[in-house]
Amino acid sequence: MPIIVEAGGFGSPGDRTLRTMFEDRKSVFVDMLKWNVPVLGGRFELDEFDDSHATYLIIADEQGDHLGSARLLPTTRRHILGNLFPELCADPAPRGADVTEITRFCLSRRQNAASRRLTRNRLVSALVWHALESGIRTYTGVAELAWLQQILAFGWDCRPLGIPVCLECGMTGALAIEIRRDTPERLAAYGLWDLPAAPPVQIAQAA
Amino acid sequence: MFSRVDAFVRDVRELETEEALAGALADVAGDLGFRYFALTHHVDVRRSSEAIRIHNYPEGWAEWFDEQSLGAVDPVHRASNVTSVGFAWSMLPEMVALTAQDRRILELARKEGIGDGFTVPAHVPGDAHGSCSFACAPGQAFSEQHQPLLQLVGAFAFEAARRMRRMRYSAGPVQLTERQRECVIWAARGKSDWEIARILGVSEATVGEHLRHAYERYGVGKRTLVAVHALFDGTIGFLDVLRR
Repeated sequence: MPIIVEAGGFGSPGDRTLRTMFEDRKSVFVDMLKWNVPVLGGRFELDEFDDSHATYLIIADEQGDHLGSARLLPTTRRHILGNLFPELCADPAPRGADVTEITRFCLSRRQNAASRRLTRNRLVSALVWHALESGIRTYTGVAELAWLQQILAFGWDCRPLGIPVCLECGMTGALAIEIRRDTPERLAAYGLWDLPAAPPVQIAQAA
Repeated sequence: MFSRVDAFVRDVRELETEEALAGALADVAGDLGFRYFALTHHVDVRRSSEAIRIHNYPEGWAEWFDEQSLGAVDPVHRASNVTSVGFAWSMLPEMVALTAQDRRILELARKEGIGDGFTVPAHVPGDAHGSCSFACAPGQAFSEQHQPLLQLVGAFAFEAARRMRRMRYSAGPVQLTERQRECVIWAARGKSDWEIARILGVSEATVGEHLRHAYERYGVGKRTLVAVHALFDGTIGFLDVLRR
């Protein structure tokens, strides 16, 4: 079940989902990828960008447990590429109301390889769906080059924004992904499009 | 130099044939200081008609390479299976244990006019491993600064080649059912049909049936081979097999 938690919605239906998401993020980014990012209470990976401006796209199971997610940050304010890694862009980092940054793309490790691939397809499809629904034309993102071939293989329109740099976490680069009306078709041609018939549940921002 | 790579990425998006891609790759490789490029799936190309292989290596070298069925055993290909980021060929001895045969291949390549090089691995789950390599003439060196750019060129070129191949062969990769996949994982872990039957709670005959269908889909006749093929194309993962 895809869930969209819009800008800061740490609301009631999402409690279990968000808790398991932050736990899985710790498991993936801190335990596995050894990123040097803050951990809350030894369990949750949360940083300064997990605030009321962040939108979360989450794929959850029937119990509401997190399977995969991405955190979306508006580029009209502080975000990761424009503010933390501007050197990854040859030109100034793309910013605008229709430019959104994908961060913390995370697939829970509590799944086998086949389920992870299924979750990945659903998450990528949900990202495209969300962009078309909300007027996002460009996604930007900072990615380790180890993932580049996989990101390109989704079939969407992707281009580099600058020369990759060797950072602590590995060779890292900035990418832009253009989302258009025909993007779902292109993902489908690559066997990737997987959006459930029921539209994603949208949870509005909590007060 | 980024603008050169940016232009390449924009160009290849529009290209429709492997010949056009080969031309664009030769140009950008040349601009980055390389005489040769080779973009390939790591399989025996004589037996796998859908495999990608585009290169501008000297003719004799590529022929000899194919005659020896070296596609899957070339030390550069083996090394690129153990990493997800590009590497200079000078790093090879630290990445894989080089055999006498490997040293012979590298020596022969040098005689054919292929010197130092840089390889970008291309791993896509569900597809055979591949890579995009760039090579200089012997005695020439390439700039270390260009390595991040080569990574981009290699990755975008490989994806363009995959797109072209997909347009030609729309059949797609081998697909196993979930049950066949489970049986192959247990077989890869060394379990007999009887043991797998006990683990999955089905009859031994059913396990035999699942595995037989998996053999057929890969066109092989042995459980070891079906496991290797399924690992190779990403249908099963090393962690599935090695997990305790």
